[in-house]
Amino acid sequence: MRESTKKAKEVLGRELKSRPLESLIDDMILKKITGNPSVLESEKYFEVPDKMVMFYKYSYGQQSRFFKELKDNAALYGARCRKCGIVYFPPRAQCSECYSDTEWTPVSNEGVVVSSTTVWYTTSEFFDRTPYAVGYVRPTDANTAMLQRIDLKGREFIEPGEKVIAVFKRERFGTVSDFWYEIKE
Amino acid sequence: MKSYLQLKNEGGRVAIVGTGQTKFEARIPGMTYYELAFQAAKNALADANIEPGMIDSVVYGIYNDLFERQIMPDTYIHDYLGMYGKPGTRITTGGATGGYAFRAAYADVASGLSDIAMVVGVEKAQDCYDWAQGKTTPEVLKSIAYSADMTWEFPLGVSAASSYAVLASAHMKKYGTTEEQAAMVSVKNHGNALNNPFAQSPMRITVDDVMSSRIISYPFKLLDSSLYTEGAYVLIIMNEKKVREIGVKDPVWVKGIGSSNDKSFTGLRSSIDKLGKFGDIADLRNHYKAAEEAYRMAGISNPRKEIDVAELHDAFSFTEIQAYEAMGFCERGKGGLFVEEGTASMGGDLPVSPSGGLLGAGHAVGATGVMQIGEIANQIRHKAGRRQIEIRNNNGLAHSIGGPGSSYCTVTILGGN
Ligand SMILES: [Zn+2]
Repeated sequence: MRESTKKAKEVLGRELKSRPLESLIDDMILKKITGNPSVLESEKYFEVPDKMVMFYKYSYGQQSRFFKELKDNAALYGARCRKCGIVYFPPRAQCSECYSDTEWTPVSNEGVVVSSTTVWYTTSEFFDRTPYAVGYVRPTDANTAMLQRIDLKGREFIEPGEKVIAVFKRERFGTVSDFWYEIKE
Repeated sequence: MKSYLQLKNEGGRVAIVGTGQTKFEARIPGMTYYELAFQAAKNALADANIEPGMIDSVVYGIYNDLFERQIMPDTYIHDYLGMYGKPGTRITTGGATGGYAFRAAYADVASGLSDIAMVVGVEKAQDCYDWAQGKTTPEVLKSIAYSADMTWEFPLGVSAASSYAVLASAHMKKYGTTEEQAAMVSVKNHGNALNNPFAQSPMRITVDDVMSSRIISYPFKLLDSSLYTEGAYVLIIMNEKKVREIGVKDPVWVKGIGSSNDKSFTGLRSSIDKLGKFGDIADLRNHYKAAEEAYRMAGISNPRKEIDVAELHDAFSFTEIQAYEAMGFCERGKGGLFVEEGTASMGGDLPVSPSGGLLGAGHAVGATGVMQIGEIANQIRHKAGRRQIEIRNNNGLAHSIGGPGSSYCTVTILGGN
């Protein structure tokens, strides 16, 4: 056997440490098909169950500080352009208007709703939470607005112009859904 | 930018010389995406009366790899169409994919790189299937939702509808546009589709029907929203020299193209930034800019008077109202009144979306913009059958938009000899 073939065999033996995650999904789909064989309409065309699955761990890059402050300190941070002074929220490390660097700056928990919508139908992942409002909220001391959940508190719709305040989850993971806004009464 | 007049004087114009399509349907399980593309291409080549071998290059408009369940689907279509040996590229710009694919093909021909080019817009959608729910729609929505920014917006549970609904809410607040006015767009476009044998949703409905359909994302209701569609639409374009050489009798000239993309982080749009003169979150600012550019190239100064017919991208009924304003068909903030007065209706002074638009004809995303340009081409050359509009000024407009908060926009102006 060639040396390179031997090495390949060796790797083959230790590469896969556990059952691939995809196979869990395959099992679930196969159960569904057994219960409902009509999905294969081979009279007219042949149709097969399938999926495209990818798993990730991705980096927030230079935006990470925002999520660290959010998670550890329940604080909202924006970024101020060192040259033109725009306060970005959500923050970005570079200013897209003048190409200068920005610096971190805390922003107010209080803000104004720029516009919003109430979601009644959406993907399966979020369906059990409907209806919910999402809208762009500009903190009182920032120049731009960020998309966020706004607590409907029994209303059908959140009007643009409403004053809101940030509320933080007790247990935070470092994602944008660690906080939301509520109407300031 | 060279003006249309300048191009005309130089003999440097580009014309649409053939259109072809498949029927637009919710799902076409009997055909793959390359089979759909083939059928539309065959029809377009027959309409243009040219052989496949005469095509110099192809531009593919295909929106979403997750719809097709295929990364790089264009390369397989290129093979299936027998276009191997020739250059083929793909454009993917959300809902504006078709319009931008046309722009790329135009550039190909206008630059002299190709004499004859083919624009292939195609989309599958409803092969997406949520096995847990036993339904198609949630999975279709998911494949679109993945285009939301993964860090700042996706985790909040957004959708294509919510992304455009915030623009509509802002428009309602700023200008007093009503849900009833938006419903009129839906009534009009579903009705127009009755004259389009290729349309997915021809329907005679009322404002009440729209108003009482269930809310998807306020203020959008089900009948305010276009559905997911499968289908293909193909255009053949060629340069002026070839038009003369072949002796095309009814070339439809490209008179103007204008394109502009706004900030995709919609909350960053402000009245003091570089697009600020066109407005804020309530206004489709890049649509204003794209239209302005297209009109400048075409030499049009009063679109309300000079445009005979338009196809606007009504993914949602409210968006068409916002587009009336951006296209200069009416004053800013008066889009609701424009549809209410009937100007945009089939018998009106400036009929909009005789094909039925996305609401009526369907939204086969990559094919949509190509279809709407093809519809205007057929209107201009009097091949629109039962839905033919009277062409007085020899100008038609097609509008193609997409992306988060309608960040992509391209506008095409066509005219005959
Ligand atoms: Zn700056």
